[in-house]
Amino acid sequence: MEKLTKEKIKQGLEVLDAGMDGKLFTHLNSCVHCGLCAESCIYYLAFPEGKFIPATKVDLISSIYRRYITFTGKVVPGLVGARKLNDETIVEITDLFFGACTMCGRCVPHCSIGVDISYLVRKGRQMLAKMGYVPESLQSTINTALKTGNNMGITEQEFIETLKWLEDDLRFEVNDDTACIPLNEKGRNIIYTLNPREPKFFPLSISAMAKIFHVAGESWTLSTQMYDATNYAYYSGNHDEAGIITQYLFDEIQNLEAKTCVLAECGHGSRAFRWEGPNYLKKEYPFEVITSVEILANYIREGRIKVDPEKITECVTLHDPCNLARTGGIWKEQRYILRRSVKNFVEMAPNGIDNLCCGGGGGQLAMSEYNERRMKTGELKAEQIRKTGAKIVVTPCHNCVDQLTQLNITFKLGVQIKTIAEIVADSIVPQDQKVISKNESVEV
Amino acid sequence: MNPYLWFATSALVICLASCFYHFFRLLEFGKPQDYSKPLGEITPAVKYSFTRAMDPRKKESAFLHLPTYTAGIIYHLGTFLSIALFTMFWLKYVPSGWFKLIIIGFLFLSSICGLSILVKRIIKKNLRTLSNPDDYISNFLVTAFHFITALTLVNNKLFPVYFIAAGVLLLYLPIGKLKHTVYFFAARYQLGVFYGRRGVWPPKQEGF
Repeated sequence: MEKLTKEKIKQGLEVLDAGMDGKLFTHLNSCVHCGLCAESCIYYLAFPEGKFIPATKVDLISSIYRRYITFTGKVVPGLVGARKLNDETIVEITDLFFGACTMCGRCVPHCSIGVDISYLVRKGRQMLAKMGYVPESLQSTINTALKTGNNMGITEQEFIETLKWLEDDLRFEVNDDTACIPLNEKGRNIIYTLNPREPKFFPLSISAMAKIFHVAGESWTLSTQMYDATNYAYYSGNHDEAGIITQYLFDEIQNLEAKTCVLAECGHGSRAFRWEGPNYLKKEYPFEVITSVEILANYIREGRIKVDPEKITECVTLHDPCNLARTGGIWKEQRYILRRSVKNFVEMAPNGIDNLCCGGGGGQLAMSEYNERRMKTGELKAEQIRKTGAKIVVTPCHNCVDQLTQLNITFKLGVQIKTIAEIVADSIVPQDQKVISKNESVEV
Repeated sequence: MNPYLWFATSALVICLASCFYHFFRLLEFGKPQDYSKPLGEITPAVKYSFTRAMDPRKKESAFLHLPTYTAGIIYHLGTFLSIALFTMFWLKYVPSGWFKLIIIGFLFLSSICGLSILVKRIIKKNLRTLSNPDDYISNFLVTAFHFITALTLVNNKLFPVYFIAAGVLLLYLPIGKLKHTVYFFAARYQLGVFYGRRGVWPPKQEGF
């Protein structure tokens, strides 16, 4: 790790000083160190040590704020626990902010005061990014996205080839030679985005969405230039880089003159583009942004697609991505879809906005140095799944899919991991059929 | 005005001025500009933040820690009561009869609660790691204030000690974590704004 210099300290403190606003000022001054947030954190539950209590993470950043910015902290630092930024502190902060927090925000509504702990951890990451202390593994993912337009470095040719064979499969599956995956079409209602893991490892989730769009008769397109919904710079806290990645997608949506951007099933991607993106760019979007979960729920509600729960009879449970549910307000929609698409849906406990993080959020999947911790925190999720007795775990997030897949193998859960689109595509009724009740026969 | 009352009154003025300074500084910093398109409404979410979101059945910090939570509630009620009594004493009104006995009993109870929270902080390793001197001092000063208020009601010869204790507490309040008196409300408000814009609070009904 690079030595801390005065210049670096100055850059880091700018986040707390020049970047100060009423929200940051409030949360930096609110924690009373009651420690009652401990049990709401997956890290503390997995490793019951003082350093993993969310309040300790709050104190790390607020103690630095007190030391350099407040009168009391400058005059009597010992009294209020004000700490200097030095090499030792940097090691501790980097380890706890990057390696012991997924910024899932579960501790926030449980905090006795209402301190936005995950927001302060993000601010801490922002400071570390300014000082050049982003873990290399995470930074390399960001660099790939900046250089190639997607975090997996997939070439345009490779992407188009994948889509072409998916298109052939789609035609075969829907038995319609006109079915297609439209590429770079201008003026469509929808531009659909992807998590680059989809073309690379999970192409069937693209097929699933293409099938649904086809059945719904949607006017949509994919861009071959910029389709990546993810933004790992949101995790690193480097707002300049996050802004550049956001701008790539913004420009492509404008270029293709799409009315609505539909974000792929990606928790952090939906947060980074929908909620943080306009603030990175410092402007409102001139187009609509919604998640694929919302559009699928709307299709079912409006009758644009029909689903038959009899097609999926296994027990299904749902994992809510933190960035989609707890900080994105989308958790009823996936339940609305699943209650209509599968026969036997069971909830985890806790669930919805109180759900436990799977352990893969906050960029943990990109930071291999914290793998051991990630799997240990994930054991809580594995136990949650096991208790439901479900055979299929659905989650509208490809990051979560990755983590749940690893948990499935490590803890021998014996489940299938699917996205919402895959479930809907499996239970969808072709356009020329209607859903039948128990005593009716299929009308073709 | 006797010197003890004068000291406590001066401390109160300094305390209020400092709290207003914190509050106006907060306003001066202003709201962060948010360019994202809201998914929900802020006003009902802020209301929710101050009401149902505080329901102990919904907060793990409450229902997983019932003894501490209960002690904390009694402790805070004791603080509000002590502040009310400070105002009464300042206006030269001292409760009497059964009312006085009930108050004394409650303040002794809240002192015990404050003390138990302090002891917990001292003996629990994880809490000790998290704590700085201000945490102990703040807890001690408030607990002592409850206790001395109760003792003063028992024996009014203790008024000089009472006013000194009140003055010290009021002078210390804006320095350390006791200033959460101001920031608690700001934090609940900010949380309501955040979750309200995102459509998280108040929780949506089934069928969205």
